[in-house]
Amino acid sequence: MTSTATGAAGSSTRERFRSGVEAAASTYLEQPDWSAVVAYVAARTDTVALAPSLAADKPDLADALEAAGCAIVVPDQDDPAASVADVAVAIVQGELAIAETGSVLVSEHLLGDRVVTMLCRQLVQVVPADRLVDRLEEVADWLASRGGQPGFASLMTGPSRTADIERSLTIGVQGPDEVEVIVLTATTDELVEGRP
Amino acid sequence: MTLRPFEERYAAALADDDVRTGLTAFQRGWRDSRDAAIDALEQQEGRSFDELREELAAIKDRVVADWSYYLDEFEEKAVAAGAEVTRVATPGEANAHITNVVKAAGADLVVKGKSMVSEEIGLNAHLEANGITPVETDLGEWILQLAHETPSHLVMPAIHKRKERIAALLEQVLGREYAPDDIPTMVKAARTQLRDRFLASGVGLSGANALIAEGGSIMLVENEGNNRMSVALPPIHVVTAGIEKLVPTYADAMKQVRLLGRSATAQPITVYTNFVTGPRPGQRQHILLLDNGRTAMADDPDVAAALRCIRCGACANVCPPYGIVGGHAFGHVYTGAIGLVNTAFHHGMEAAAGPQSLCVSCGACAQVCPVDIPLPVQIMEVRRKVVESEVAVPAGRITALALGAFANRRLFGLGMRVTGVVSTPFRRDGITALPRLLADRGPVHTATGWRTPPAVPARPARDTLKPGKLDEPPRLAAQPLAGRSVSLFLQCLSDRLAPQIPIAAARLLRAAGARVTVPREQHCCGLPAYDSGEHDTARAMVRQTMAVLADADDVVTPASSCLAMLGHDAPHLLRGDVDEVERAQQLAGRTYDLIGYLTQGPGRLPAGSLDDGDRTPVTVHRFCQASNTLGRQDVVERFLRDVAGVPVVPLPEASECCGFGGSTSLRNPEVARGILDRKLGCVDRTDASILITDNPGCILHLRGGIHASGQQVRVLHLAEYLAGRLDGAAVDGDRGPRS
Ligand code: SF4
Repeated sequence: MTSTATGAAGSSTRERFRSGVEAAASTYLEQPDWSAVVAYVAARTDTVALAPSLAADKPDLADALEAAGCAIVVPDQDDPAASVADVAVAIVQGELAIAETGSVLVSEHLLGDRVVTMLCRQLVQVVPADRLVDRLEEVADWLASRGGQPGFASLMTGPSRTADIERSLTIGVQGPDEVEVIVLTATTDELVEGRP
Repeated sequence: MTLRPFEERYAAALADDDVRTGLTAFQRGWRDSRDAAIDALEQQEGRSFDELREELAAIKDRVVADWSYYLDEFEEKAVAAGAEVTRVATPGEANAHITNVVKAAGADLVVKGKSMVSEEIGLNAHLEANGITPVETDLGEWILQLAHETPSHLVMPAIHKRKERIAALLEQVLGREYAPDDIPTMVKAARTQLRDRFLASGVGLSGANALIAEGGSIMLVENEGNNRMSVALPPIHVVTAGIEKLVPTYADAMKQVRLLGRSATAQPITVYTNFVTGPRPGQRQHILLLDNGRTAMADDPDVAAALRCIRCGACANVCPPYGIVGGHAFGHVYTGAIGLVNTAFHHGMEAAAGPQSLCVSCGACAQVCPVDIPLPVQIMEVRRKVVESEVAVPAGRITALALGAFANRRLFGLGMRVTGVVSTPFRRDGITALPRLLADRGPVHTATGWRTPPAVPARPARDTLKPGKLDEPPRLAAQPLAGRSVSLFLQCLSDRLAPQIPIAAARLLRAAGARVTVPREQHCCGLPAYDSGEHDTARAMVRQTMAVLADADDVVTPASSCLAMLGHDAPHLLRGDVDEVERAQQLAGRTYDLIGYLTQGPGRLPAGSLDDGDRTPVTVHRFCQASNTLGRQDVVERFLRDVAGVPVVPLPEASECCGFGGSTSLRNPEVARGILDRKLGCVDRTDASILITDNPGCILHLRGGIHASGQQVRVLHLAEYLAGRLDGAAVDGDRGPRS
């Protein structure tokens, strides 16, 4: 991500992102940091699926959730789909949040990353405020600068939906039917950056 | 392909009332939400829709101009990311390749995300013939697969099916009852049915909305999430994409995203915009790049711009005949306006021939196309190719024969005069009275029962307009045309079938001070021939018209369609000769339709100058091409308010075609009738008793329809309406408006 994109993420950008998220029928939330996310999630569910890349990136996140009383499922290598079959809530981390459209860019290179966003019914997308950008062109820059990595990146804007029957909007077809977008507002993140 | 012959599809669509009712509601809803979405985009970007779509069009054109460069770049990057890339020329090669991949993997189940290319090549039938089960996972496609039908729309494949039919279908297939109003439960059924398939399938198949050369990435946009599951979960991912889907960079792809969602479903962005670059660990990815007529399109300047298409479906959503018969008749595998163009190249002339006569040439598609494809001109070019290819189109041949006589001014004139004299006893108010008895039965009823045909007057306008034959009209106080010579171009149709229109126009122009002449040798601008794909005949008629009007000063016609023909289509037809184009443009530069002459031309009338005090409200049908081709909006309405002082009730869907549409009303009367009914429904909602418009074709069509329906509405040409106010308006001297 370019530094200008980070610098541009002022409060009005955040407001536009928020209204985009809400227009897409997701829920918008702000939490100061990951610890607050842990508390928020643990208060609402007792089992949570973590995207493997998130679990690897934040090794103490699983511990923190377990300490808060949540059972953790990180999809395994062999049969990742089966391992999340009965889990309702999943957490992923967004690479970017795009004010123009209210979208979150999620990279899902591994099969395990994909099953949590595709098979779980409630998806929590967490994105630090410094990942907030104004326009889709900044997503293009991000993708271009990585030379094709990650192999699978999706702009997600709201829960899965269809209007294929008489153009009547129905939420939740193949993907999740509830999406919560949580923006982390603290400048430093204890849970991650506090560790060596 | 397994599509039924056109005539069968057409008859089936007409027999199904759901198609028309459902699509009319869909088109209205889409139009409102799409317009709002595009307005918001213009605000957000601080640029007009035209600027934005030109930018995207330029990107797509750049790719086609340097196609092998971008194909190579894409292939190199995709291969570096781990994909296997194969270029195939024909559907046969594509099907064989995919079947081999599936068989080599030992798979017998394929899950499919929505892919128009797989429809184009007939992949499902091919897989089934090889013992492989393809499962459509897009909700609409899944429903159609259960019903053994094909998509009728590029984006909303099952838009022709009402919820009652879908509920009955699901009950039949799944063995439990579904309430038609409970759409969420039907959607849930699809989820339950498909979930295991995604996980059990050995191969996932997708299309591509864009192939991004810079990164070797595939862009897939969708709302349901089925496409990403088809791509991501199975151990093999097969992509089929047309080679026109290339864009150079990710930034270019984002420009497509901005216009695609809004043009397709009025969304700023779809729920998922997936960028797929190579396979995931443990997966294999095969990318098939299909030509199937695309390089032939690029080599043909008549249609090359159609390769810009991003398959948004907007051109179908504004298409009046599509709203009557739907995509199973209007198009082939590809539906809507674009289907009338690219079918000839992907599926052959025979497949392209059937639906050609359905297009009413209203031009609405070109207004909404997010890549600015000149669809109406391209449809005319493909129509010409169909006629020249001489594939069997019975109705087309009949028109061609009739045109032979029509092209000959003397023969045509003589025929019309004889008909006019013979039919005199049956004529009342300019439309035929007696033949209604005949018209209520059998095939004559299909053609005329809903629209009383115009009677042929005994004398054409040109006879009445001979020097010295007309009374002096009252002279208006305002004389903007004093000392000016105006050549009146009568329009062939009005001259013979509605002479009162050019006669009224002449009266009005003379009242404003003009000296009106009617060049004797004038005949026809060439539009009917152009419309029938007979370009040689059309060119001959254009040239004849240019010769007749070569020395005229201002040329005024009461027919806006002739203006569109002379200004837009004639230069296109004559494009082989720069001198001719220049002469055509010079003529177009001094040719006006009546409203243009009275508002922007020399005949500008001051406010109130035709106010005779009559305040009976009127409503205005805008000639579709005046809006779409000539770029007019509410010019007639404003003129009537300002200059005639009359209240104008806005007509809903004012710029939509009335259904006359040139040859459509002759060759596809059922479609012309359906469109007319929609228009008359809108007129009814205004409560106005006078309907004004300014194109004679529309007038004959609307008048006939209103007569047959018994509606109490007078249909008047602008010239007739205004000339009718001359006696009471402020005239030379002192008299003010009557009160
Ligand atoms: S021709 Fe234009 S309007 Fe029609 S589907 Fe293609 S891009 Fe959309």
